[in-house]
Amino acid sequence: MSHSDTIPLHSTSQSDIDEIENLINSNPSSVLPARPPSPPRASIPISSAPIPPPAFIPSNLPAPTNPKTAPVPSVSSAAPKPPLPPRPSGPGGNISASGFGSPPNTLTEPVWDTVKRDLSRIVSNLKLVVFPNPFREDPGKALRDWDLWGPFFFIVFLGLTLSWSASVKKSEVFAVAFALLAAGAVILTLNVLLLGGHIIFFQSLSLLGYCLFPLDIGALICMLKDNVLVKVVVVAVTLAWSSWAAYPFMSSAVNPRRKALALYPVLLMYVSVGFLIIAID
Amino acid sequence: MIPTMKQILLLKQLITLYLIIPADGDEQQSTNNWKGVFSISSYTQYFNVDTDVVLNRLISSLYPISGDFFSKIDANPDLYGLVWISTTLVFAIASLGNCATYLMHRRSDHSTSWTFDVSYLNVAACSIYGYVLIVPLAYYFLLQYLGSNASLIRFWCLWGYSLFIFILSSFLLVIPFEFLRWTIILLGGGASASFVALNLRSYINESEITIVVISAFVLQMGLAIFIKMWFFA
Repeated sequence: MSHSDTIPLHSTSQSDIDEIENLINSNPSSVLPARPPSPPRASIPISSAPIPPPAFIPSNLPAPTNPKTAPVPSVSSAAPKPPLPPRPSGPGGNISASGFGSPPNTLTEPVWDTVKRDLSRIVSNLKLVVFPNPFREDPGKALRDWDLWGPFFFIVFLGLTLSWSASVKKSEVFAVAFALLAAGAVILTLNVLLLGGHIIFFQSLSLLGYCLFPLDIGALICMLKDNVLVKVVVVAVTLAWSSWAAYPFMSSAVNPRRKALALYPVLLMYVSVGFLIIAID
Repeated sequence: MIPTMKQILLLKQLITLYLIIPADGDEQQSTNNWKGVFSISSYTQYFNVDTDVVLNRLISSLYPISGDFFSKIDANPDLYGLVWISTTLVFAIASLGNCATYLMHRRSDHSTSWTFDVSYLNVAACSIYGYVLIVPLAYYFLLQYLGSNASLIRFWCLWGYSLFIFILSSFLLVIPFEFLRWTIILLGGGASASFVALNLRSYINESEITIVVISAFVLQMGLAIFIKMWFFA
């Protein structure tokens, strides 16, 4: 603030009070409120009367001798309301949640709604990827609404199943399975990109994760039924199913002359996981 | 001790390697488009191969005597072989090693139950990846120090394809007869090692570094014996 007079500043608080008193006495109409004005906030109207601007109006203040108690009445009416983020539009108008568009509803909806929406997306993605459907050949349509919850759940489930089946070194089995699958998905995607193919990184991660679903079923069956021959048959069937699910996506992403180069690592990863499922008992 | 010019040069190349991988010895590669360490497109030049090219190189790695591998890969060395052959070898020896212990257990005694040993995967990954990444790097620096031009990518390519024989022999090592296993591993190791050594000799083309060639042979045989003794004991 600027001084028009030449009162020197002291370093004690008493001197500050003196300074303020001098300012008040010299120019009473320009007294600032003791509490600085809050930034413009959308204020929820509490009455039908025209709404004053959100900043504190100095004329609301009582006698300037007790500046600290003055703003309390105005503040207390606004404080209990939930704070809204500052909006450039000023007073007036009923500011409700719909003013932001539809997304804010996801913040206030029940948790069960969110979970149900994610689960239904996982199920629909699963149906698109793993089961026959007319869009399989087109990678753009195959997994348009990709997500990573499904793959995460399938990888963790497979790691847990293998870990339960193992009789020794359970935690190491889980670590190996998880690292193999997660790092494997990333490396397979990088492999396609390095061979000059065109895929979207996260869409490919999502797809490779969803293709693990048949192996999850196979691992569950193998955990429950401990016969070696049954295990081999089940793993072979689910392995073929997983590879069939992943094949159109991977092969259409690269140059046809390099199709085998892109598909071989996928096969390698699924065979190694299948072998883990059979061998762990 | 005042460093010699050669040592200064070596140090400079070490620093350069930390920042970028040098594309070639001294010749200007017309397709060298390096866009930085973190850009995928700068690595695609090393994966510019088709299926038939890779198969051709795999088959030629089975003939150790011909010695013309470097002329085959000269225009277009690839790292695809390095990455996926070594990965396949890791899985092969881990899983087939477990198969081999299972078969030995079936033949010998039934007192203890057989369990799948997951640590085979860890040991296999560390040893194979470590060997195939570090040994060519060491030879590259050694040859640079000795004065002849070497290309790191071609060395990685060579050592990568030399591991293909081990994949095939590891399938045969499952047979639970000790004498047969030793025969297989010595033959396979010898083939792979002579592949590396003969190609290295034809590439370097100088007479005073036969010790380098012999050491490469010995290292590859050492890897073969390690595979046999750790995984297929």
